[in-house]
Amino acid sequence: MRILRNLARRKLRTTLTVVGITIGIWALVVMSSMANKIGALVDGGSSYFADKIIVSDSANLAFGFSSAPIRVSVAADIEAIDGVDVTVPEVDMLLDPDRSGPAFNIPDRIVASMAGADKGREKFPIKAALGRLLVPEDEGKNVVVLGSDLGRKFNKKPGERMTVRGIEFEVVGILEPTLSAPDTSVWIPLAAGQALLLETLPDVMQREFKASELASSITVYPDPGVDIPALAKTIEQRVPRTQSLTGAEFDEQVGSAIAIFNAIILGVALISLVVGGLSVINTMAMSVAERTREIGVKRAIGATRARIVREVVTEAGVIGLFGGTLGLVLGAVVVLAANEAGRSSGTILFQLTAGTAIFAVVFAVILGMLAGLIPAITAARLDPVEAIRYE
Amino acid sequence: MPLIDAMDVHKTYRLGRSNVVRALQGVNMSLESGEMVAIMGPSGCGKSTLMHIVGLLQPPSTNGTKPVLKYRERDMTTLSDRERTRIRATEMGFVFQAFNLVSTLNAVENVALAAEYAGQPKPKAKASALDALGLVGLAERAGHRPMELSGGEQQRVAIARALVNRPGLILADEPTGNLDSANSKEVMELLRRFNREQKQTILLVTHDPEVGKACSRIITMRDGKVTAV
Repeated sequence: MRILRNLARRKLRTTLTVVGITIGIWALVVMSSMANKIGALVDGGSSYFADKIIVSDSANLAFGFSSAPIRVSVAADIEAIDGVDVTVPEVDMLLDPDRSGPAFNIPDRIVASMAGADKGREKFPIKAALGRLLVPEDEGKNVVVLGSDLGRKFNKKPGERMTVRGIEFEVVGILEPTLSAPDTSVWIPLAAGQALLLETLPDVMQREFKASELASSITVYPDPGVDIPALAKTIEQRVPRTQSLTGAEFDEQVGSAIAIFNAIILGVALISLVVGGLSVINTMAMSVAERTREIGVKRAIGATRARIVREVVTEAGVIGLFGGTLGLVLGAVVVLAANEAGRSSGTILFQLTAGTAIFAVVFAVILGMLAGLIPAITAARLDPVEAIRYE
Repeated sequence: MPLIDAMDVHKTYRLGRSNVVRALQGVNMSLESGEMVAIMGPSGCGKSTLMHIVGLLQPPSTNGTKPVLKYRERDMTTLSDRERTRIRATEMGFVFQAFNLVSTLNAVENVALAAEYAGQPKPKAKASALDALGLVGLAERAGHRPMELSGGEQQRVAIARALVNRPGLILADEPTGNLDSANSKEVMELLRRFNREQKQTILLVTHDPEVGKACSRIITMRDGKVTAV
């Protein structure tokens, strides 16, 4: 209470200082929420790729979505290699063929594979929130399971129909959110995917291939304990015109992009630290100067130096607490509003976690206290006699 | 056994390269327990400085001399800031010319502050503070801020603050300097009452001969030296 009364002595100055911290923490909350979301996507990808090798045609860019198809028959050649347990041909393409060029979030995808072909090896947890997952009996039918974001985006429920690249499908399930790539994917049976894939090829190739011969990539599940990077190399050497991608490569490529983003967040945090900290130092230095006499009197009647330091630091910490809380609230409002606005289009950009929220407020309080320390020490060092004479 | 014993106390301020002020030039004084003593003398004679040194607000200068400063037989010249602060908090009370109450705190909070500094927990400090306000006749003004009190009332709150820990020594620097004669009289009567009834030793600095007369003894100073005891 006494602290609040001290802060209320100069309401405008206190308010402006609080606003300074609020802006910094607000930026920190918004940027961190964005980083959380991207981090979740990357972690999802990282754990998805961790235990497998993705083999595609060597004409593809390492991490572009496969556009040059690979023959399904290659799967048999790979499976003959020592250390390979299971191979699953997969079709993988953009849901919207007109979407091109990079965008901030990952694009919606179509993933097609034969249900059960992984023989239980796929460990990435996917559950149906509504309806069901694909089953082996779905092969040959035009049925689709939607990721949670896309279920919302297209506003579909099991039993309803939707058009995928011009072909009508029956929705049989909606997935639970994974906060990762599956949220923005649709799953269809392999045959249906192969038919769509054939449509994307140039006429010459369309005449040469049958749909059932085509895949975008082959997912390879190695035997337990096998050196995955070494196996990936062996596959590239033994099977012509292939390239392989492992979890380590995914982490390396995507990790560097994330490192840049984290550096930006760190930069925002640093700027807020410097600006907010300076304004707290300024405010508390002024308030100490104004209270010189009062501090002298307190020292005279028995306040220790430590008590004076505590008083000033606590006051600065309270400024930080106000700024931090206000910044968190503003940040949360922005994050929730932006997610709500993006929900209809399936663009969820932010994820505000409890950890981020707590960090933001604690950070603001500690920042305030650290900044308050300099004027606090000045105050504690005042000579009581001179301070009492001060006008 | 004197409460305060000071011998050969010097205080030199160096304000600039060649501007040295010799505020005290070898002062000897002692104070018996239960005395009420006024230090008088013209402006700049060093009476406030002497009071600050006796009140442990600043140490005597030690350039070339060996000053003695004893409080209850204890040597005060070698204490750390923390130890001096502790003695000020628990065994001394201060009254200033300009009252010097904390403007954001009401009367009882101002008095309680001194009790907290002396180590009392907050609820106990508040109870002691209300007692002390009762002694100066301001119990019913406990909730008022300094702005809402008259000068005389503010000085009585300050006296309550000086008294709250029942210190052995109360130091008052021109306690009536900012008050009219009626309020001056009231403040002096309070101090005399505490001196008489509570056996509080009081050392005050004043210009006012009336205030001096109310004391049991007068120490007269001139040019940094004691000229009459």
